[in-house]
Amino acid sequence: MSKPLGDFTHSAALSLGVELELQLVSRRDFDLTRAATDLLGGLDYDGRFGEIKLEITESMIEVSTQPQATVNGIASDLAGLRDTLRTHAERNNIGICGGGTHAFHHWPERRICPGERFDELYQRYGYLAKQFTVFGQHIHVGCESADDAIWLTQALGVYVPAFIALSASSPYVDGVDTLFQSARLNAVSAFPLSGQCPPLDDWAAFVRHFEFLQACGIASSIKDLYWDVRPKPEFGTVEIRVCDTPLAIEQAASLAALAQSLTRWLLRTRPELQTASQAHVARYNKFQACRYGMAAQISDPVARCCRPLGVSIGELLETLTEDARALDCEHWLKALHTIVATGGDASWLRQRQEYFGNLNDVVCEASGRLLSTPDKY
Amino acid sequence: MPDSLAGLPRAAWNWLLDRLFFLPPFPEQIDSLALFSMLLVVGLLIGEWLHARAGWPKVIGYVLAGTIFGPSLLGWISIEGLAQARPVADAALGLLMMEVGRRLDLGWLLRNRELLRSTLADINLSFLLIFLFAFYVVGLSPAWSAATAAVTMASAPAVVLLAIEESKAQGQVTERIILHTAIAAAASFVAFTIVLGIVHAENSENWLNAIVHPLWVAGGSLLVAALAASLALAIARLLPKASLAQVFVLVASALLAVGIARMLAVPVFLTLFLMGVVLAVRDTRQALRYTALPEGHWLLAIILFVVVGASLPWAAFTWMTGLQALGLLAVRATAKLAALALTGGSLPRNKRLLVGLGIQPLSATAVFMAYELAQLYPEIGLSALALPLFAAAIMELAGPALCRLALRRSGECASDTQRNGGIA
Repeated sequence: MSKPLGDFTHSAALSLGVELELQLVSRRDFDLTRAATDLLGGLDYDGRFGEIKLEITESMIEVSTQPQATVNGIASDLAGLRDTLRTHAERNNIGICGGGTHAFHHWPERRICPGERFDELYQRYGYLAKQFTVFGQHIHVGCESADDAIWLTQALGVYVPAFIALSASSPYVDGVDTLFQSARLNAVSAFPLSGQCPPLDDWAAFVRHFEFLQACGIASSIKDLYWDVRPKPEFGTVEIRVCDTPLAIEQAASLAALAQSLTRWLLRTRPELQTASQAHVARYNKFQACRYGMAAQISDPVARCCRPLGVSIGELLETLTEDARALDCEHWLKALHTIVATGGDASWLRQRQEYFGNLNDVVCEASGRLLSTPDKY
Repeated sequence: MPDSLAGLPRAAWNWLLDRLFFLPPFPEQIDSLALFSMLLVVGLLIGEWLHARAGWPKVIGYVLAGTIFGPSLLGWISIEGLAQARPVADAALGLLMMEVGRRLDLGWLLRNRELLRSTLADINLSFLLIFLFAFYVVGLSPAWSAATAAVTMASAPAVVLLAIEESKAQGQVTERIILHTAIAAAASFVAFTIVLGIVHAENSENWLNAIVHPLWVAGGSLLVAALAASLALAIARLLPKASLAQVFVLVASALLAVGIARMLAVPVFLTLFLMGVVLAVRDTRQALRYTALPEGHWLLAIILFVVVGASLPWAAFTWMTGLQALGLLAVRATAKLAALALTGGSLPRNKRLLVGLGIQPLSATAVFMAYELAQLYPEIGLSALALPLFAAAIMELAGPALCRLALRRSGECASDTQRNGGIA
């Protein structure tokens, strides 16, 4: 049944919210396990750090922070959610892990969570729903107006490869090295309404586009749009949806810092958007970032050349320093330089696989990394 | 083979033997391999048939096959045939016990004190109530009452593992059923070892046996287990993790432990359970942690349950013993359900009760333990332990069904359709 779009809820400009989809693993062999309903059913938690919710399959949960003005607030909420989960997971003998994919789980063993929406998704998408047991980070940035949200949806689209490369933590699927830095997005690409938001000028144009999709029977609610960046009228935000869940919550906070600083810079400088030409290269650039991470060659449709993504991100981080300082998140942004230099989580996972020679130990260590203090790693 | 059936073939064979000098004498005993394959195929067919037609757990079919063709009913599996199949049954039980030992997660008990409380309540209440029932209601002596309690207090690890494997169950109820089973098995083995001494003390003047026998069983099992586990770990560390070579090492070490345990007359189930525990505790570098037993070990489990079915003393069945066995099972079920319901925990009460239902099976370990004890003083032991044997006989059929019911009700089986619109 079609759901009307509703009004765009106004929220404080540049406020933040972060959602993380997390893996539930067995502490015996570190494969995914069915545990979400029991874990949440026994949760003794007052919601002070945000929500802990079921996701589509029983082997995953989603945590979402409270809306926060600063990255420090996001980091604090994420730490609180992590500690809450750690306590309850230990009581249930379950491990919790970050990463965009589970390295070796067998997707047919996944089980859809109880719930009308999940049931409906399974009926609609069939096995894709079970293969959708992948884990992402969504970053919401508050927008003062609906038109700003649509403009930012377009403007942030150019930086999708940067977010993909910086968060990439899904090199393994089905126990195999995919050679991708982020293989997660290949699972998302199978859905018919995934991809980029088409070139739209303002909120009114977006409403017309959405009503068109509804009239054609393609989409019934905004949740059906699996775009890389999409407006979220219900929250009054623009939502960046391409990041893999990082292996540690501190990286998740750093990515939120990038989103906030970049949004401030975009709103402050209002660069001219080349949405039509960007639309021609967006899929190629996204593939490059997923496949090669920092080594990707990103096509610039204006300059008509390709540039190494690692170099572009380094320059971007320098550009954003002033905005990050103004937002009091400079130290979070600085941490991203290390990812540019080292290749981030995907490289770390491959190094650990090389060291251990098996993926069970890699997931075991990754789980420890999510649940422990950052200094250890 | 019964004489009535063998009469005509024997006569025909002897007629041929008079004319064809190369023929061997008529085979009076069935070859071991032929026996194993027959047990396997017949058990498998009955198990699969019951599973497909009535939705019963396959284990029930295996046990029924053994019961029907065993010495108590048709007699196609003779006492000698059972003795021949015993090493294979020991190997099957040993592998399953090792698996349960490997899953004994003491760390979870430390992280969840409510779970520790409920496992302790299960162990103590089960032993106490069964002992009181055997002593006051049935009128057994203190030693045989304690033996009855030691034998029947725990769940059946082999049945539980098989039921979970068969239904591909996964979740909190499943994990807690495994943990309760492993802990109660450990406790029952401790009780069993102590009871050995008590039985000797009550039935013999020879105090040396009363003291040394429990020590021999406990020390011998632990020594064999530690040596086999150390050997497995030492070799496994040289091999890639979870590789086929590691699977061979794990199985070969387990079979070595089974063989040595049989040579030293220490219980195979105890030795292999301890081996599993040692593997879990000493495998700090996780050399064998991710190495699973091969799928084929379930074939051995079929022979195990056929042998267990054939070992049940149905010929000695009386209505009185049957009623007493039912009473024991009722007391045992009450103890387990009450322990789970009353001790609280991080699971809702209805799910805790499902755990209590899931740990009801009583099977191979109990039967083998009962025979170990009965053989000490066969003239009184077999009659004294008829009670736990008949209780096990009843639960051979009811136990797998109860365990499966618990798993299904918990919604943790892979093939279940969830009530609230979920899909398997």
